[in-house]
Amino acid sequence: MTDAKTLSYINLYAILGTLENLCELDSKAKDLLKDLKKPISIGFDVKGGPSATITFSKNGCRMEDGIKPCDIKLPFSSPEKFNGMIDGTVTPLPSKGFTKIGFLTKTFVALTDRLTELMRPTPEALEDREFFELSTTLTFYTIAVALAQIGNQDEIGKHSASYMVDGDLLFGINDGPTATLRVKDHHLVTIKQAPEKPRAIMKFADLDLAYALFTGTANALECVCNGSIEIHGMASMIDNMNRLLDRVALYLA
Amino acid sequence: MSKYPVYNHDKGREYFDRALKVIPAGIYGHLGPSEGLWIPIQKWPFYSSRAQGSYFWDLDGNKYIDYMCAYGPNVLGYNDPDVDAAAKAQMEKGNCTTAPSSIMVDCAENLVDTVASADWAFFCKNGSDTTTLAVMTARAHTHKRKIIFLKGYYHGDFQWAQKIDYPGILPEDVCHNLVAPWFDLDALQKLYDENDGDIAGLIAQPYDHGNFYDNVPANKEYWTSVRKWCDDHGVVLIFDDVRAGFRLDIAGSDHYYGIKADLICFCKALANGYNMSALCGGEHMKATVSGMTYTGSYWMSAVPFAACIACIDKMKKIDLPSLCRKLGTQLTDGLKEAAANNGFHLVASGEPALFYLRIADDDSLMLHQEWIAECVCRGLFLASHHNHFINGSLTEDDVKLSIDIAEDAFNEVRKNHPELR
Repeated sequence: MTDAKTLSYINLYAILGTLENLCELDSKAKDLLKDLKKPISIGFDVKGGPSATITFSKNGCRMEDGIKPCDIKLPFSSPEKFNGMIDGTVTPLPSKGFTKIGFLTKTFVALTDRLTELMRPTPEALEDREFFELSTTLTFYTIAVALAQIGNQDEIGKHSASYMVDGDLLFGINDGPTATLRVKDHHLVTIKQAPEKPRAIMKFADLDLAYALFTGTANALECVCNGSIEIHGMASMIDNMNRLLDRVALYLA
Repeated sequence: MSKYPVYNHDKGREYFDRALKVIPAGIYGHLGPSEGLWIPIQKWPFYSSRAQGSYFWDLDGNKYIDYMCAYGPNVLGYNDPDVDAAAKAQMEKGNCTTAPSSIMVDCAENLVDTVASADWAFFCKNGSDTTTLAVMTARAHTHKRKIIFLKGYYHGDFQWAQKIDYPGILPEDVCHNLVAPWFDLDALQKLYDENDGDIAGLIAQPYDHGNFYDNVPANKEYWTSVRKWCDDHGVVLIFDDVRAGFRLDIAGSDHYYGIKADLICFCKALANGYNMSALCGGEHMKATVSGMTYTGSYWMSAVPFAACIACIDKMKKIDLPSLCRKLGTQLTDGLKEAAANNGFHLVASGEPALFYLRIADDDSLMLHQEWIAECVCRGLFLASHHNHFINGSLTEDDVKLSIDIAEDAFNEVRKNHPELR
């Protein structure tokens, strides 16, 4: 049971939001941006759903919430239409920025294709350790952001969030990426760095375990039992984050 | 140097590694690392090799004084000679038979004579069996659908008692559950009005003894007003006494709070570890329960009935509730003093017989989890997230030993945190 509105929040903030990390960590993505002469921004405006602006420069990209002054604006009449763009069944029509359409159709598409290659990898590609580590790291960031979207938008996810107390939850992988899930009045925000003073901690032993969890071949509770997931602190936060994690799999399947 | 050496659990770990291959999660549920919050797992013993009185021993030969009491069933002490003798005698006569043993009747009569609100007893195996039967009975009795729960509730793990976001639970499984805050009669009325009176029952533990927060005892005024509200609105009042039963009052926790519930659920302390549970209730509910389709393969096994009779008789003989209150108070007073001696603020809440502990010096519970782990690996078995249990075999010397181990553990935590000085 998923809903289109929640999926649109995940698609925008979690999936397209991972372009930030892709452009920072992946040499092929860096190559696509290196010749950019000046920054260019794309605004995504989903009626009845989320809106955000991604600004690309030769140094990478950054997503900001809401529609900022942008070079290309892509309006979507519904969450379903926006989700259609993500799964390739809808071609977006810009309402602004026709002269910069080339960036949209070439560079942006090349970046999202590269993201897809890494986020939906073939078994052969994963045999390359460097590819595997990048793929799992990017998946981690996508999931970390998706957790907050599900806790804020999905009806069952909101139930889990309603049991979470205020504070920062550290969610991370040993020797890998770390994020903060910040809870305030049962509203969740993901920050892609470790908190200063976590109220709860959930850390995976390594990237291999994270990959197994993300692909459903391992279960988080089982890993807590065998010690490969380390937890500390306010367990009710971790418990409810696990329930959100279950629903992430449903949306990202 | 620590006064109480830190245990190692090599053999326990070896067994656990074997278990992980053949048992989901190794030890699933509340007795295992996940729900039991073994943080860090290395400090916990995994398995027991034997038990006696207030103690158990692990596979590595380490001895633990046990305040979790198998999460409640150990109410008189492990291997209580009177209960075990009664069980053994019954075992020689018969246990799981086609025609149930007549000791079932003796057991029901004993419960009816003991529990103030009981005019009958319906036997099952686990607490969930009885809470489920109670909810079904409330619906059958009133022909209404909704059940009111109180916030922080736990009434077992059957589908209806779980929450909508739990794995395997459908929205339809829990769509007739309503949740009200504790100690708020207006909230009950609001739920009643919002649902056009379609309320079959209210199920609650005797007081707010949820996990992860200080437990809040109830009082007679509260329960008297809830009783009246249920009567005025035709709502069946169900007391879930599975956890607290007999430790507060041999006549039932509803009696302790000055009321009679319509239905009351017992399990843990009923037979000192022999597996049985019972739903009891007033005469006015008996015809409805008689018509329920509800049974199980082992629900009329005779050995637990014999153990139950012996257990109830002994709980009365030693005045278990008074003993639990006295020793629970001595223990928690001593633990708080040991904490203060080391610069920590330990909060003990709830009823002394089922005390809940929390170090209040940080709001993440990490310090508390650290102290609990240091206690466990020195032989004082506590839990960081759940209330504890006093048992009838506990002595004042055991309490003194416990406080001494706790102080040693506090000292260790203090040494590990120079920033707190």
